[in-house]
Amino acid sequence: MRSLRREPALLLALLAVIVLVLLFVVYPQVQVGVAPGFSGYLSFLEGGTWRIPLQNSLKVTALSTTTAVLLGFVYAYAMVYSQMRWKAFFNLIGILPLLSPPFVVAASYLLLFGNRGIITYGVFGQSPNPYGITGIWGVQTIAFFPFAYQLIADVLSRSDARMEQAARNLGASPWRVFWTVTLPLSRPGLAAAILTTAIYVLEDFGNPQLLGGLVTVLPTQAYSLISGFGDYTSAAAVCTILLLLALGLYVAKIRLDGGRSFVTISGRASSMPRPPVPAALSWACFVGCLALAGLILLVYGTLLVSALTFAFPYNLRLTIEHFQYVATGSNGDALRNTLFFSAAAAAISAVFALFAGWLVQRGEWPGRRLLDFLLIMPAAIPGIFFGIGYLTAFNQPWLDWVDRSWLIVLALVFWNIPVGYQAAAAGLRQIDRSIEEAATSLGASKLRGFWDVVRPMLGGSLRVGFVTTFVRAVTTLSLVIFLFTPPTTVATIRIYQLVNDLDWGGAAAFTVADISLAIVALVVFAFLARGRLVLGAARA
Amino acid sequence: MPETAHVQVSHLTKRFGGVTAVDDVTFDVPKGAFATLLGPSGCGKTTTLRVIAGFYDPDAGDIRIGGRRVNDLPAHRRGTAMVFQDYALFPHMTVRDNVAYGLRVARVKANERDRRVNETLAFVGLQGMGERWPNQLSGGQQQRVAVARALVIEPQVLLLDEPLSNLDAKLREQLRVELRTMQRRLGMTFVYVTHDQEEALSLSDWIAVMNQGRVEQAGDPWEIYYHPRTAFLADFVGAVNLVPARVTELADGAVTVTFGPHRAAVRRPRETALSVGQDVRLCVRPESFTIAAAGAVPNGITLSGSVARRAFLGDTMRYWVKVDDREWIVDQPDPGAGAPLDGPVSLSLRPERVHVIPD
Repeated sequence: MRSLRREPALLLALLAVIVLVLLFVVYPQVQVGVAPGFSGYLSFLEGGTWRIPLQNSLKVTALSTTTAVLLGFVYAYAMVYSQMRWKAFFNLIGILPLLSPPFVVAASYLLLFGNRGIITYGVFGQSPNPYGITGIWGVQTIAFFPFAYQLIADVLSRSDARMEQAARNLGASPWRVFWTVTLPLSRPGLAAAILTTAIYVLEDFGNPQLLGGLVTVLPTQAYSLISGFGDYTSAAAVCTILLLLALGLYVAKIRLDGGRSFVTISGRASSMPRPPVPAALSWACFVGCLALAGLILLVYGTLLVSALTFAFPYNLRLTIEHFQYVATGSNGDALRNTLFFSAAAAAISAVFALFAGWLVQRGEWPGRRLLDFLLIMPAAIPGIFFGIGYLTAFNQPWLDWVDRSWLIVLALVFWNIPVGYQAAAAGLRQIDRSIEEAATSLGASKLRGFWDVVRPMLGGSLRVGFVTTFVRAVTTLSLVIFLFTPPTTVATIRIYQLVNDLDWGGAAAFTVADISLAIVALVVFAFLARGRLVLGAARA
Repeated sequence: MPETAHVQVSHLTKRFGGVTAVDDVTFDVPKGAFATLLGPSGCGKTTTLRVIAGFYDPDAGDIRIGGRRVNDLPAHRRGTAMVFQDYALFPHMTVRDNVAYGLRVARVKANERDRRVNETLAFVGLQGMGERWPNQLSGGQQQRVAVARALVIEPQVLLLDEPLSNLDAKLREQLRVELRTMQRRLGMTFVYVTHDQEEALSLSDWIAVMNQGRVEQAGDPWEIYYHPRTAFLADFVGAVNLVPARVTELADGAVTVTFGPHRAAVRRPRETALSVGQDVRLCVRPESFTIAAAGAVPNGITLSGSVARRAFLGDTMRYWVKVDDREWIVDQPDPGAGAPLDGPVSLSLRPERVHVIPD
């Protein structure tokens, strides 16, 4: 505290960060939380309309999380432990779904298995009803098992190969090593991965919205309350229930893994190789991964073919008509908006989070634990809640002079703050305090030391924050669904609208364009960032 | 040695939670002195240094540099450059940029900056290394960069926190000499922290030995080594024989003590009050003895015993000699001059080599 008084510039910077966090993280959430008022909550709870959606949410979350985690575990185990072939290919396929909006799986599912689906109708001549719990379950399993895979693979690859070698050395079979060493050591990490997957599923809005039919879950109920009835009070109450569930899962997760997130800890490759698994197991892994990769390829292949043909599956003549449609007029604007909003949000979020992370992790002032909590909390806030919060707080007539793009950009910035913040915290743990003190003892103020020394050394954290935020911004639907206006429409909104209009060609082409945009942007970024990677890192 | 106090620490107290790391510490460092805070780990020496640097705020007490109270100055305005134990070089800057950093912060003009950086690099023996990256340097070279980086800004006081402890023994000894020479040439005030008593003795004009957050004794190395005020000090600084004894007679400048069946008149310490009948300890350094085969001509205090063990240390032979029921540590210089001793031996000791410490 005394050091803050001696450096007014640092104090000002800290106050600015606190004000921004209060304004853009706390204030909108409080707005939603208190919107219904006590009597509002009471009458809403008595009305009981929340019961069925809550049950559905819990049921779907339990089912989809279980299957997604099981499949993700198979994929992760195969990638980390087996000596199967084609690992690079499987790795690439495993990343693809992270770059796309999860709800496009639902679109692909409808194309394949809908009542006029290629497989259901085209092959078997059946017109089953694809809507309902089973559909949601299946689609969320496919949509979220790649996320589960990334989380679990990270946990498994961080387990210490030396322990496994030691167990083998003492005579344990590979099977026994797995059950007695690997699993017990990674149990907290695995549990945390399961909870994180559960949060993704619980907060998923696009898939249940497209596939739910008459089945409503909490996010879709909140949406329909607003878009159908304009009932903000009830929607806010629904969102609060959703938030409480998500927070519960998140708190449990933090308890388990100490707040680490898979994006921030780069699984440091152990210098020792893992003990080999039997050849038969490697083959089994290969077959399993091939099947799962096949599923992913089926999802995206269907979209790609659909995007490139006139009227898939009836008219398979190649065309670029859909892409022309995507590139023109307001559609082109939506793509451009996605690029600009996401890039701006990613840059602002990464830099702000880095600075805030430094202030919290290195500062000594009262209340920094609270700020730490506030910077991590958005990770637990469902996108739909965050969106409604911004809508309630900032969609005000007296703010009409502000370009509405800012509303979306700011929501993206602060919703994604935890990503960059945790990356910065992890990075700072690698940097000895004495490096900053060296700068100080040579005459640099703390802020100057941050700029000259910490910032360049945290380039890695900055890039993680930027890339992850960018990808999350490109793929989110729930956050922006309440915030867009016609001129500020983004790609995910247009894809969602086109699927609703059953314009499959357009939707598919838009999805392909959106994913390609993300990939190209990331490649360009990687290229630009490479020039800055020459730092003579690590002290000897 | 110049006499004006340059760094003054008065009644300094620093607590961490419930632990008092530094407990009412007071000392003055004269201008241009090589001052060392010496003590075992956890004694508060590094904390004291960091309070001087401004990295910690004291809970009580004042720090003055050049007569000016600096408690309220932030670390970067104190003119106290620091050399860190792990060097803390900026890994993303070349050697030249590392050394130039402080000058850049101070907005020194480019041509003067270059000149000073070149001079300083030459001064520490790193000419031509400016374009290297820190991770391309050996430990000793990194240490020199760290020193150069701190020296180049011409600080009022240079603070050094165990700068040699990560180096191997040979290099440590060489850099010790270099540091001492540098400090003499610059006439700069150094405050140096170490747990290595040999380092402290060989480098310093002045040493404060710290233990459990307090200064046990401060003075020149000679004083610390030969006239320690407490048993802890005697034991911490070098090998020592600490033998229980009793005062039987006091005279001007001399004190007669008995230990076991022996009786000897030894030097009376100036700063400690003694009384007849008091229990004391005799502090005798191993190298103060002369050891010879039994039957040698007695000289001063003479003890006869027999060799229990011995260890060849290269420059000396260390004997554990059993006299009555107690083992004495005795060092014999230049052991190659004769055959190693065995069996009965006699030890002789000049009375003024015995130092008396109150028990």
